[in-house]
Amino acid sequence: MRKEIISCSECDELCTISITQKAGHYKCPNCGHTLFRNIPRMVEKLYAIHISALVLFIISCSFPFLSFESIGQSSQITLTSSIINLYKDGDYLLSATLLLTIFIIPFTRIVLFLMLFAPLYYRVVPRFAPWILKTLQEINHWGMLDVFLVAIFVSIVKLLKIGTITIDTSLWSFAILIPLLAYGESIFEPHIVWEKIEEYQHKGKIKSFRSKNI
Amino acid sequence: MRAIEKNIVSCPTCSQLVKLSGKKSILSLAYCPRCGTEIHQRKLDSIQNTLALLIASIIFYIPANILPMMRIESFTGSQSDTIMSGIIYFMESGSYFVGTVIFIASILVPILKILTLLYLVYRVYKRELIYPKMKQRLHRLTEIVGRWSMIDIYVVSIMVSLVNFGAMSKIHAEVGSIFFLLVVVLTMLAAMSFDSRLIWDNTKEHYAR
Repeated sequence: MRKEIISCSECDELCTISITQKAGHYKCPNCGHTLFRNIPRMVEKLYAIHISALVLFIISCSFPFLSFESIGQSSQITLTSSIINLYKDGDYLLSATLLLTIFIIPFTRIVLFLMLFAPLYYRVVPRFAPWILKTLQEINHWGMLDVFLVAIFVSIVKLLKIGTITIDTSLWSFAILIPLLAYGESIFEPHIVWEKIEEYQHKGKIKSFRSKNI
Repeated sequence: MRAIEKNIVSCPTCSQLVKLSGKKSILSLAYCPRCGTEIHQRKLDSIQNTLALLIASIIFYIPANILPMMRIESFTGSQSDTIMSGIIYFMESGSYFVGTVIFIASILVPILKILTLLYLVYRVYKRELIYPKMKQRLHRLTEIVGRWSMIDIYVVSIMVSLVNFGAMSKIHAEVGSIFFLLVVVLTMLAAMSFDSRLIWDNTKEHYAR
């Protein structure tokens, strides 16, 4: 058991918490915001989740997720071709938004998680770990794959009236990918990684930013 | 005991506690020794930024609702859909569940978000300290719920890229969708730039700001 002082990020209260080995949430006594979560075997779980997420993401991108048939003509879209179609149609802003929120940012998140947790799994803290954690936090709000899945279901209902619509391969992988990523998000506690980084900074293996304060 | 009284700041990235040296001031600047992030006691110009983004999103909200989101072209003629007429279409055709989801995501959530943030900004500006816990919950809720308004944008994009059969039948995205996209993005940015610690700050600390 060790004691630690954490300042609540929501209400600025200084809280002293005693962390034990058991899994659990530590909440701010003032406002109830979660200060720290103790998640046993977080590194192993996140490593496994993001390997499978990468495979599922590649599958979701390479196969069509919806095909539509009306008046003797048919078309199907993949994650990437929907972005390209929008670009060709002249809706540049919409296609840029789609490119960022459902392709680049989720993919970057998965890759960054792998870059961080693959070395951590083998008991090594990579040199670029502070940068990865910072980037992950910055793009946290803008990956919107889960919203996109709900939007697919809504557009299925909308298109049922116009023609025949068929669900294709990648929607299934998509439907597995999103709960997986949501679970990974819910057990990710950056504080645990930051403590490991601090140990390495004391040993001098990772660059410390102490000299920046003058 | 609050961190600001002890002149301690927690890093926004890694929640490392940093003791500020020198003159006690809200504007004093330091770097986190662990991750190198610039840290301030409060987010800089939080109220001004939030208010500016909110005003912009209110302005964009009007054309987003009046102008059509998409245009369906078929051999029988073309038909434009605004957000509201899309919901009415769902309700009339009997899919009440989807209609309700769209109504909540694209009409109720943006309005409630803008109103909530305006209320929070007003309360902080007036330096009132009543119901801090409730106000903080409201702020958390606006942050979490905000991204779900993107559903309508994605529905339009999927339909535009899926239904594209040349002259026979085609769906175009219209200006309304771009305005709505801007509303969603701006309100998300507004919710992010609001510092919830300001709700808990007392009047004396506010005076220093």
